[in-house]
Amino acid sequence: MDIANLILAAIRISSPLIFLSLAELYSQRAGLVNIGIEGIAAIGSLVGFLVSVTTGSPVLGVLAGAAAGILVNMIFAFATVTLCAEQIVYGMAINIFAPALAAFIYRVYFGSGSTLVQGDLMATLESMLGIKSDHFLVNLSLDQTPMVYIAYGLVIITGIYFSRTRSGLNFKAVGEYPKAAATLGINVNKTRYMACVICGALAGIGGAYLTTCYSRTYVDGNVAGRGFIALAAVIFGRWNAWGVLAACLFFGFCDALQIRLQVVSNTIPYQFFQMIPYAATILVLAMVGVKKAGPKACGQPYRKEER
Amino acid sequence: MKRNDFAARVFIPVVSILISFLIGAVIIAAMGANPLEALQYLWKGAFGNVRNLGTTFARATPLIFTTLCACFAYRCGVFNLGGEGQFIIGAILACFIATKVPLTGVPAILLCAAAGAVGGGLWAMIAGLLKVYRGQNEMIITIMLNYIATLLMGVVYTNWLRDGNIPQTAAVPDEVKLPSFLGMRATIAFPIALIIGLLIFYYLFSTSSGFRLRAVGLNATAAKVNGFNIKHYVLMSFAVSGAIAGLGGALELLGTQFRLINGFAAGYGFDGVAMALIASLHPLTGILVAVFFAALRVGSTMMQTATGVPTSVSDIIQALVIVFTVAGLAMVRLPAFRNLFTRKARKEA
Amino acid sequence: MTDRAEEILRMEHITKQFDSVYANRDVSFNVLSGEIHTLLGENGAGKSTLMNVLFGLYQPTEGEIYIRGQKVKIESPAQAVRLGIGMVHQHFMLVEAMTVFENIILGDTRAKGIFIDRNARKKEILALSEKYGLEADPDQLITELSVGAQQRVEILKALYRGCDLLVLDEPTAALTDLETEGLFEIMKKLTEEGKSVIFISHKMREVLRISDRITILRAGQTVETVNASEVTGETLAAKMIGRELKPPQYPKTEEAGEDVIVLDHVSYHKESKHNGLNDVSLRIRRGEVVGIAGVDGNGQSQLAMLTTGNITPEEGTIELKRSKVVKFDPNGFILENVSHIPEDRNKAGLIGNMSVADNLVLKTTTDSRFSDWNGFHLKKKAIRQYAGEMQGKYDIRCSSVDQEARNLSGGNQQKVILARELEAEPDLLVAVHPTRGLDIGATRFVHDTVIAQREAGCGVLLISADFDEILEISDRILVMFEGKIMGEYPGKNPPVGEISLAMAGK
Repeated sequence: MDIANLILAAIRISSPLIFLSLAELYSQRAGLVNIGIEGIAAIGSLVGFLVSVTTGSPVLGVLAGAAAGILVNMIFAFATVTLCAEQIVYGMAINIFAPALAAFIYRVYFGSGSTLVQGDLMATLESMLGIKSDHFLVNLSLDQTPMVYIAYGLVIITGIYFSRTRSGLNFKAVGEYPKAAATLGINVNKTRYMACVICGALAGIGGAYLTTCYSRTYVDGNVAGRGFIALAAVIFGRWNAWGVLAACLFFGFCDALQIRLQVVSNTIPYQFFQMIPYAATILVLAMVGVKKAGPKACGQPYRKEER
Repeated sequence: MKRNDFAARVFIPVVSILISFLIGAVIIAAMGANPLEALQYLWKGAFGNVRNLGTTFARATPLIFTTLCACFAYRCGVFNLGGEGQFIIGAILACFIATKVPLTGVPAILLCAAAGAVGGGLWAMIAGLLKVYRGQNEMIITIMLNYIATLLMGVVYTNWLRDGNIPQTAAVPDEVKLPSFLGMRATIAFPIALIIGLLIFYYLFSTSSGFRLRAVGLNATAAKVNGFNIKHYVLMSFAVSGAIAGLGGALELLGTQFRLINGFAAGYGFDGVAMALIASLHPLTGILVAVFFAALRVGSTMMQTATGVPTSVSDIIQALVIVFTVAGLAMVRLPAFRNLFTRKARKEA
Repeated sequence: MTDRAEEILRMEHITKQFDSVYANRDVSFNVLSGEIHTLLGENGAGKSTLMNVLFGLYQPTEGEIYIRGQKVKIESPAQAVRLGIGMVHQHFMLVEAMTVFENIILGDTRAKGIFIDRNARKKEILALSEKYGLEADPDQLITELSVGAQQRVEILKALYRGCDLLVLDEPTAALTDLETEGLFEIMKKLTEEGKSVIFISHKMREVLRISDRITILRAGQTVETVNASEVTGETLAAKMIGRELKPPQYPKTEEAGEDVIVLDHVSYHKESKHNGLNDVSLRIRRGEVVGIAGVDGNGQSQLAMLTTGNITPEEGTIELKRSKVVKFDPNGFILENVSHIPEDRNKAGLIGNMSVADNLVLKTTTDSRFSDWNGFHLKKKAIRQYAGEMQGKYDIRCSSVDQEARNLSGGNQQKVILARELEAEPDLLVAVHPTRGLDIGATRFVHDTVIAQREAGCGVLLISADFDEILEISDRILVMFEGKIMGEYPGKNPPVGEISLAMAGK
């Protein structure tokens, strides 16, 4: 087994997870559990694909995916922040609504033929620079689409944001103790809406990545549970950017590993390998233990003027 | 107060359905078809004659099982999102027994049903034990188990029980298939589902154990202080909800699908969750909602043949219903909203 | 106070309505600079509401606010802070997962730049800390601090934002006598610097000691404003309650029956000073009320949890009705006729989303009165009828027994819990802060029913932070401090001074 190629694959595979996990991180840090990012990723991947195919530009596709993610997540934001609906319940509603919307738009636009429409993949930096190389490190650092660099850049920015900036501190307070934050003049609802914008954008981008950088086609269900694995990554990563990155790399590695193993093994049915990422998620969660370390007010609605 | 809540629980879903249909009609019109005509075919396709009615009931049956699974679990505060996986495990076990075990007739059916229920219950218990003894959140785990179950089913129909060259299992032998219900296309699985719904309703609202289960779901801390065994109820809720889904899977195999194949039961689990939420976790309302959505699906195929409107429109309508219903139910519970009504009542008083 | 003291705050004709309830009605008072002005009143008199209006958390239905003679409309806490008002809430507004430093600078809009300039800010904070004698380590997490230390952080927070008027809402509720002295020192320093303090309390003794002027509130209205030097405790009490009320004289017993519960050298988390029990031995007998005096957070919660079977002791044994308890679980204790009025009625006492009737029969659904075949079929009519009887007997004000419990007022919720726990005719009643947040009528009702239980032969363990309550109804008084029993005192003619000292650890 070629370790170098395995690592390269792991990097590529974990990138969409990074976007999705960061999306959830911002949301939970503001106190909103959003289990609907699976659905938002679905609509992001569809819109990204659509725009990429019709305009010929995967980059525009990604931007469109972000926009679609924001729009759909605004529904979630309105329901949970303003109407105080139960977050987990509404996240499920989004998980049902958004993929149905995505499937619908696909049918309408591309018809229900069985041949899959193909799109372009985003160019990697290497190909943009015109380099061809077999060297591992060169490939590792340059043979990636710009989205990968953006993903890692976002991890760094997120880490700095939450640990060093005033805005980041206020943001965290909203997720820990919104009432206290309100008495200090922080606008809780505005922060939560902003978090939903960021979450929607990143989840949409994560979905769009799947159809513009990872695969040439769109299929229903292509998100394949990554939205939920992202939830696990946030817990596993202890709600900070670096931990989340490590978790995503781990899950990405599991996924890359199972693809390689499928090819290698002849006796074991391939589906068992495909189970590895999901089983890994369960094992990781089982080991992580009971102590709840998330933002204290996560999952609770915030009501002003509570008597 | 109680009457107001009841009104809200019925009123909101109905209004959501109406709004969703309205939007659906707009979409249909935008596609160049006549909305009224399309809806007419929708209705006919679902309820127009006995055959269609039977199809609707048959389509509703698995949904009723997954809806009841979700209702029962959530009543105890357990977010069992694994109805899909539990359903599939039930079907897998039933498939093995039906195709490999030399039993026929009622004993075979009973055995398959029992195995399905046990299998589904055990599959759910994986998450249940992790929740109770490791404090793990069951949402993610049950969803992961869904994917694992689907993949396992893949192994079954591409490998272990594969029938010839096509990736599907052999059909369930005729002697093990479920008899039909009143001569319709629906099988006895449908009335079984209804009976289970009634039993759950009775359990939750007329027994002491069900009362306590609901209390645990509403306020586990207070339940514990008042002497309820939380672990017991949580585990039971996982087991029973999983068993219901597993039973549904077994019956779906024996009654409607007859083989395991790619796409078996796809989406039933999450649909069940959606319907349970729309029905405010009430088992009997849940049955109605399941039949309603089954009607949507069944009717939309006729609508598509007759008017060319794609079936995915009905998926959108269903998705819209849940979006509006949950938001609406939350809205009426807002203090600001309450004040509108109570102030009026006080002014009159 | 100087002769020409400037008026820093005036609130005129403030009315605040919630639905049809008037929390404040035509309240007027003013505060001068350099003054400690107390708002005195019973629970539910409207003090906290008034301050929430001042701090911009609530909007007044009617009335005006003047800061330094200028009329203002305070629409948010941020605005209140800009006007120089600072508030320390009864329930601290501190983020536990963050450090002292982070809590103090949270939300501050005066600093410039995206990044936090830790050094500069820390310097500012340490300077303030020294000036007013507010000891605080900026890098400690809030979870590591004592209640007194957390309070100092809250005061620092307010001063850091440049407050001239500091509102302290029931600040001494969770402090020892020593810490209270420390607080009073700080308050004096603040007024020496020309700042003003609004001190909210219902504790007469402290109020008389520390205040310059006192405004008494009763049932949402101002009674009058007096100079502290010109009143006595009795006149104040009379004005607070509205009539000459002699504290009820409950007869105390000195004879009691057999032991109901005995704790023998029980320990639980013994290293923890605020959440543990250290070698506790006590007994409660039939027909007596044992009151546990002490500032909240000295192990009382754990004592309550142990005596109701919710936690298991790590050392020592507990005997319940003469037999050693082997397994600690709430149901076992309930079956032994132990009743529990929990500390937090909403979290642990009631199922808020269930009806009043359901809550009343919460533990007894398998009883033959309410179900057939041991719980297999609930007799709904019988349950409703029973609930109706309880509603009458305990004077539970609700629109119907089907109303959701969470919609009742605090006092009525407590009555539901009382009804449920006392109708079981317990042998041991563990009552934790049973009158917290209740008005005087409801409080009296609770005390009457507890005494009635004692008369019926029940042993009562009463845990309360309300010293007066302990003095009023206990037959024996035990003091808890940092997880230990400091001493035992008679309920008849109790030595108040000694007990107070014991509560502070001496």
